[in-house]
Amino acid sequence: MIEIDDLTVLFGGVRGLSALSASLPEPVTGLVGPNGAGKTTLINVLSGFIRPVKGSVSVDGKDLKGIPVHKRAAFGIRRTFQNEQVVENLSAADNVAAVLDNVPTDGQPRRALIARALDFVGLGAKASVLGRNLNAYERRMVEIARSTVGSPRLIMMDEPGAGLAQDESEHLRQVIRNVHRHCGAQVLLVDHDVDLISATCAATLVLDFGTSIAYGPTPDVLANPKVRTAYLGVLEEGA
Amino acid sequence: MTDRSLEGVSLVASSRLPLREIAVGAGALAVIYLLPSFLSDYWLRVLISVAALVVASLSVSLLFAQLGMVSLAQFGLLGVGGWFALRISHGLGAPFELALVTGGAAAALVGLVVGLPALRMRGLYLAIITLMMAGAIQVLISAFGFPDGGTGILGKSTGARVMMARPFLAQSDPAYFRYAVVIAAFCYLLVLAHLRGRPGRAWAMIRRGEVCALAGGVHIVAYKVWAFALAGFLAGIAGGLLAGGVGQLDGSAFPASQSIMLFALTIVGGAYSWFGPIIAGLMLRAFPALLNEFHVDGNIATVVFGVGLLHALMTAPQGIARQLADAFWAARNFFKGNGRNAA
Amino acid sequence: MPDFTPFLVSGLALAATYVLSAVGIVVLYRASGVVNFAQGAVGALAAFISWSIVERGGPESLSWLAGVTVATLVSLAYGRLIAPRLVSTDPITRAVATLSFGLILLGFMGYLWGEAPRRLRLPTDTMSFELLGVRVTLTRAIAFGLGVSVTAIVMLFLAHSRMGLQMRALASNRELSAMLGVRVFRIDGWAWVISGVLAGVSGVLLADLQRLSGQTLTFAVIPAIAAAVIGRFASLPATVAGALAIGVCEALLTPVPVIGPFRSATPFIFAVGAMLWMQRKPVFVYR
Repeated sequence: MIEIDDLTVLFGGVRGLSALSASLPEPVTGLVGPNGAGKTTLINVLSGFIRPVKGSVSVDGKDLKGIPVHKRAAFGIRRTFQNEQVVENLSAADNVAAVLDNVPTDGQPRRALIARALDFVGLGAKASVLGRNLNAYERRMVEIARSTVGSPRLIMMDEPGAGLAQDESEHLRQVIRNVHRHCGAQVLLVDHDVDLISATCAATLVLDFGTSIAYGPTPDVLANPKVRTAYLGVLEEGA
Repeated sequence: MTDRSLEGVSLVASSRLPLREIAVGAGALAVIYLLPSFLSDYWLRVLISVAALVVASLSVSLLFAQLGMVSLAQFGLLGVGGWFALRISHGLGAPFELALVTGGAAAALVGLVVGLPALRMRGLYLAIITLMMAGAIQVLISAFGFPDGGTGILGKSTGARVMMARPFLAQSDPAYFRYAVVIAAFCYLLVLAHLRGRPGRAWAMIRRGEVCALAGGVHIVAYKVWAFALAGFLAGIAGGLLAGGVGQLDGSAFPASQSIMLFALTIVGGAYSWFGPIIAGLMLRAFPALLNEFHVDGNIATVVFGVGLLHALMTAPQGIARQLADAFWAARNFFKGNGRNAA
Repeated sequence: MPDFTPFLVSGLALAATYVLSAVGIVVLYRASGVVNFAQGAVGALAAFISWSIVERGGPESLSWLAGVTVATLVSLAYGRLIAPRLVSTDPITRAVATLSFGLILLGFMGYLWGEAPRRLRLPTDTMSFELLGVRVTLTRAIAFGLGVSVTAIVMLFLAHSRMGLQMRALASNRELSAMLGVRVFRIDGWAWVISGVLAGVSGVLLADLQRLSGQTLTFAVIPAIAAAVIGRFASLPATVAGALAIGVCEALLTPVPVIGPFRSATPFIFAVGAMLWMQRKPVFVYR
């Protein structure tokens, strides 16, 4: 459960986020909007990389303000990046272990947890392959595996669907849909691929100029005329 | 420095045991055991110093290869470690091992206290502060000298200078040489244990990027501190080894330029390879000794090393070790037959 | 309580040499992104050349000019021949490269001249006047004067001249500047020239005021870098203030009983202090 309350972020004079308020309870929520709308800014606030000048954000009832950046992973905030951040010199298993080192394991054996995470994303056979020898899609899956270990509460994915082949896209959708069942975490999905959003997200938040212009069940939001004007595009008369 | 520069040989191995490396290591150890009988006293002493400097170079390469951190103070910290090892050994009559470890701990602490402000800043500031640290240590050491059996805080003897007591098992030069090699091997294993465990993974994440590390829950400053402390500890151990080998340390032998040379040669030898520090140790001690034999000015060595570092930075950041490894693999593939592709 | 006035006077002259060196470092860093660890070594070379010329009976009044010229040429040579090969690497690599350049110079000077104690004598040493009851040699006065005037000239140059503007552009964004038509290579070259001149002048002065020793002069880059740290490698006024503070402090500590012999650690203390000050508010920049 994500609660955003009157969140404002300033970059000099530019309003990255402008008094944004939203309540996001769904297991998989989409976050869309044109470039510069504030999507990445919002997840950066959640990650702790950017400090809001006003307002607050809570996850599962806990205000994130008091949690230092490096402790958010342990609290349960995880993230995959647009520019993947897999460590080239570590194997896939070690990449996952690197995050597991810093999050609660509830006494379970580490090797089992790592294996489970890698199996979940379909990389069970590639556990000992070095990061540099994994292809782009596999690296993305490693990032997702990393984010599912150690009781995560929220996994934010920043454009995971970019540049994928058809079968990879299908696999990604499956993974996203199964995350909540696998580890209990909520997913916040940022992407420009509207089909991906429709296929995986029960609800979607649309941002424009730093505020929310629509929130609700995904099909309704995508049909919303305001959203169409701002983001999806409107058919020209007589085209 | 980003992950882009870290290609090729890495100290971080995969999760399976490096059996081949262990076999090679065991073979090398056997050779080293037999070595002293073939060497003159002078060269044996040189190699003892080499062993100590290998550990010092290992400390430099640990920081540089794992975290891209440039420390220009490691030789100075070697001096600090040597000072404490000598003081404990002379003052308390402590066994060599205890003196060695104390020296290591002292150097780690000194390094940390001084380096801490810079650990939170850009890497350039660490290079600057460690250079200044080396300068400050130079001033202190040349002013105070090294303990040599006297009483009082500085331990300076008014009468005859006392040599450092060697370990119980290693009184003679050949025995001490083997002892030093064993200690060096321990240091390597210590580093290896770090690399395969939590610290190694955290360091790799930090090197990948601050963002990657923070998002993964790594406390960046804490792990940098850990690395820096470990590097200080290794430098201190090297100091104790050197003190035990030579018997006493010379207060004028710790100019800041030595720390720079240590760094330079570690890069030239190959910071990203386990073999690099060995090459660096040889170059730091054996090369000048060789020049000495041929009555060539030691300053030539400085110039050569400077050129070597410059060349390494411009062309082969992985150093001689990598070039040797490449040559080795090329030769191996050549002998295996022309049908195979190069590694 | 020892009389500090003579130490204040010598401190100001010393500080002036630090100012010259530090300004060279900051200007070069801002234009090319390189922290020149070899600044001191280049200065030492200038001093040795100068000394050699006098030793061989050359004209004293021009020996310093030859020294500074050599320093400038050597600096430019590095800037034109070696620095461009490292342009695509990160700041640390480029800084370490200058360190290796310094090593080469250090070894070279050690080979040619050795570490025998020497003093560089300039003709202005013998001329002096009285100020505040203290004898001030002309050398010291010139050093101080140069420190002030050079700083002013450099600041005016950067702020008002075309090349100064281009240097500031380079400092801000090198690639963009190149795309905008700034002749990066050429401007870079001039930055190395400025750095070389300042290194040479400060080296010659320092060799006169303190001692002509390859090791000492090479590591005189440390106070200069400490001053640059205080200025955050960006602000010239802060750098100059830092260099003045370091130099004066160092000199004033000379007669102080216990600490006196360790006054050369002053720049170190200042640098650490500056770094701690810079960190008082944690800043995390997310790109």
